[in-house]
Amino acid sequence: MRKTFASGNIAVAEGAITAGLKFYAGYPITPSSEIMEYLAEKLPKLNGIVVQMEDEIASINAAIGASWAGAKSMTATSGPGFSLMAEAIGLAVITETPVVIVDVMRAGPSTGVPTKTSQSDVLQARWLAHGDYIVPCYAPWSVQEAYDLVIKAFNTAELLRTPVIVLSDAVIAHLWEPLTMYDQGEVEIINRKIPKGTEITLPYKPDPDLIPPMPIFGKGFKTIVESLTHDERGYYAPHESAYRALITRLNLKILKRLDYIFDYETYNCTSECDYMLLSYGSTARVTYIAMLELRRRGYNICMLRLKTLWPIDREKLVNSCKARRIVVVENNIGKIYMDIDRVFKDREVYSAPILSLEPPSLREVLEVISIWL
Amino acid sequence: MISREHGKFRVTVIVDRCKECGLCIAICPVKVLVRSSIENKYGYRPPEPSDIEKCIGCKLCEYNCPDFAIFVEKVV
Amino acid sequence: MAVESINIHPLDKHLRVDRIPTLYCPGCGIGITLGAMLRALDKRINEGLIDPNKIVWVGGIGCSARTVFYVRYDAAHVLHGRAIAFATGVVLANPELLVIVVGGDGDIAGIGGNHFIHAARRNIDIIVVMITNFVYAMTGGQVAPTTPRGVKTTTTPMGNPEPPLNAIKLVLALNANYAARASVTTPHYIENFFYKALGIKGFRFIEVISTCPEIYGRHIGLRDPVEMYNELKKRVKYKPKPSIEDADIDWEKGIIIGEFLERNNPSYLELLRGVYGK
Ligand SMILES: Cc1ncc(C[n+]2csc(CCOP(=O)(O)OP(=O)(O)O)c2C)c(N)n1
Ligand code: SF4
Ligand code: SF4
Repeated sequence: MRKTFASGNIAVAEGAITAGLKFYAGYPITPSSEIMEYLAEKLPKLNGIVVQMEDEIASINAAIGASWAGAKSMTATSGPGFSLMAEAIGLAVITETPVVIVDVMRAGPSTGVPTKTSQSDVLQARWLAHGDYIVPCYAPWSVQEAYDLVIKAFNTAELLRTPVIVLSDAVIAHLWEPLTMYDQGEVEIINRKIPKGTEITLPYKPDPDLIPPMPIFGKGFKTIVESLTHDERGYYAPHESAYRALITRLNLKILKRLDYIFDYETYNCTSECDYMLLSYGSTARVTYIAMLELRRRGYNICMLRLKTLWPIDREKLVNSCKARRIVVVENNIGKIYMDIDRVFKDREVYSAPILSLEPPSLREVLEVISIWL
Repeated sequence: MISREHGKFRVTVIVDRCKECGLCIAICPVKVLVRSSIENKYGYRPPEPSDIEKCIGCKLCEYNCPDFAIFVEKVV
Repeated sequence: MAVESINIHPLDKHLRVDRIPTLYCPGCGIGITLGAMLRALDKRINEGLIDPNKIVWVGGIGCSARTVFYVRYDAAHVLHGRAIAFATGVVLANPELLVIVVGGDGDIAGIGGNHFIHAARRNIDIIVVMITNFVYAMTGGQVAPTTPRGVKTTTTPMGNPEPPLNAIKLVLALNANYAARASVTTPHYIENFFYKALGIKGFRFIEVISTCPEIYGRHIGLRDPVEMYNELKKRVKYKPKPSIEDADIDWEKGIIIGEFLERNNPSYLELLRGVYGK
C-alpha cells in the first residue's frame, strides 16, 4: 500500500497501471490529456506502450487491436473524441474485446467549453454506438474512487470480455486528494480466460458463464475477430437465429453479472426517510453536503450515490430506500433522472438538473432541490 | 474433380470451386483447356484439360484462377 | 469445418477451405491476389523465416478486405477504414506478430486515408496490400478515391468530376520502407513483391491493380471477366526502378508496375526501442 497525493487524471492512470495496463493509445484533448502524458512517462518503464495516434478513431481501434494481441489496453478522451469512438465501441462489443474507455466529461455539445465540467455524456456513454448492447459504465466521485473504479473497469472488461466506460469529468480530473494505491496482491486483478490447446474451430462458443475464452493472436488458435454478426465459428451469419443468439448472449452475459457490476452507496438512509437525494460523480460531492445541510434544517432526508451508471440493478435500487420522494441531482438537463423515474414507478421522482460549468455551489444545489421539498 | 495428365504434367480441376469465369481457358498459352459440358453444384461449367498432351506446365491457369479451382503438378 | 476438410489445391493448407467458394463474383481479381500472396507466404514459411502461428491478417470492410475471411490464420475483419489502426495496436502490443492488412482503395485510402498516411509516416511494421479496383464495389459501384475522371458511377452519373488519388505517390512522400505496384494480370509480380515485403521491416505497401468485372466492368463496358482482364493486361507494363512520374495511372497511356521504393529506414518498433532504451 502506498499513500500519495494525486489528481483524478493521475488516479485514472495509476489505477490502470495497477490493473495491468500494457497498451495505451490516445489523442490529446482537454481535460483528459494528463492521463496520456502521465502514462507516457511511466508505462514504458513497466514494459508498456503509449502511442499518440492520429485521432480518437485510431486510438480506440488500436486499443482493440492491442487487446487481441494480448495486452490490457485503454484509451481516454473527452466529449468530441468520445463521439468519434462510437463505431469502435460497437466493434469491441461484437468482437467481445476487453478494453477500457475513459471519458473525462466536459461541457458540450460540440467543442462546447473544453476546460469546464459537465455530466452531459451519461446517456452517450450508454448508447454511443448503434445496435443492441450493454456496456458497463462507472462514475467516480473522488480521486480515490477514480483509481478504484478504473481497476474495477479493467476487471469487468477482462471478466466479461466487454468494453467498459469510466465517466470522469473536468472536476474529478483536476481535483487533488489523498490517494491510497495498492501493490501486487493487495487488490483483486482479473485476467481474461484464454482457450487451452491450439487451433480452435468455435472461437465464439461460450462457457456456461456465456463468455467464450479469448483466443488471442499469436498462439496458433487461428482465431477470427469478426465485426459482422457471426455464429460460433466466427463466420458471417446473416440469419435471424444466429443474430438472436448472438445479441441475446452479448446482453445476457453482462446482465448475468449485475451483482458484480452494479454498485452504489447510501448515506444516512434509515427505513423511514421522507426524501432521498440521488446523485453521482462530482455532483454527488456537493449533493452530499446539501443532504447534511437539509438534515441540519430538520428534513428526514438521505442520499444515494450511483457508482455504476449502467447497467442498473432495478431491484437493488428499489429496495435501497423507502423514501417517498426522490430528487435526482445531476449536472445536465436531467438524464439519469429518466431511469430513476422508471425504476421507482410508485414514488415521486423529481429532476434537479443543474447546468453549471464549475462544480455547483451548495446554494445552487439547495435551490434546485428545495423546489421539490 | 477432373484430372488429366501426360508424361510430365497433371492438371486438376476442383469442379465445385469453379465459377466459369473463363480466365484459365483464355490465359493458357497452348490452349489445353476448354469449357466442359458438365455443371457443378452451383450450375457452373468448369474447364476440362481436353488437350492435355500440349500442357507445358507453366501454371498460368493455376495462378490466374481466382477461386483455387485448378492446379498443375509435375508428374513424378 | 476448416480442420476436417481435405487439402486438394496446393494452397489449401493456408485456406479455410470450408468457406470456399468465396463470395467473389466470377473472374474477380481479388482471388488472384490472395493466391499470389499465399504462394509468397508459403515460400517464406517453408524457408523457416516465418512462424505461421505468428501471422495476423487484418481487413476493414469491402470486397477486398474480405480476403481475411478465407485465410487459415489469426484474422480480424474489423471496421471500414480502420484496419491499419487496429493493426497498429496489434503489432505494437506484440512485436513478434507479422501483421498483414488487406483492403480496397476505399477502405485503405478513402475512409482510412488518415491512418494510412500516419502509419506510413511512422513506418509502422505492417504490410498493407491495397487492391485498387477503381470503384466502391461492395456497396454497388459508387465513385472511389481512385476512380479516373469522367467515369460514370452510381454517384457520378454525369461522369466523375474529381481527379483520383495516387496511393503510390502518397506513400513515396512519407517514410515507408517499401512501395510497389502489381496487377492481377501479373500474379508473379504480386507474389514477388509480397515475398520481398515479407522480408523487410517497417511500413510496406503494395498496390494491386485489380479487375472488378461485375461492378467496375459494367461502368466501363467490360462486363466479361476475360475481356476486362485482357484490356487491363494490355495496359500494364513492368518497369525496373520506375520513377515517381511513372506512378501515374492512365488507362489510355498505360499503367506502370514495379518497385517504386525500397529502403531501410528504422521502423517504428526500432525507433521505439531507441527512445525506450531497450
Ligand atoms: C463507416 C462505414 N461507412 C460505410 C460503409 C459501407 N461500405 C462498405 S464497403 C464500402 C466501400 C468498399 O469499397 P473499397 O474499400 O474500395 O473495397 P471494394 O469493395 O471495392 O473491394 C463502403 C462504403 C461501412 N461499412 N462503414
Ligand atoms: S479460372 Fe478457375 S474459376 Fe475461372 S473458369 Fe478456370 S477454373 Fe473456373
Ligand atoms: S463486386 Fe467486384 S470486387 Fe466485389 S467480388 Fe464482385 S467482381 Fe470482385
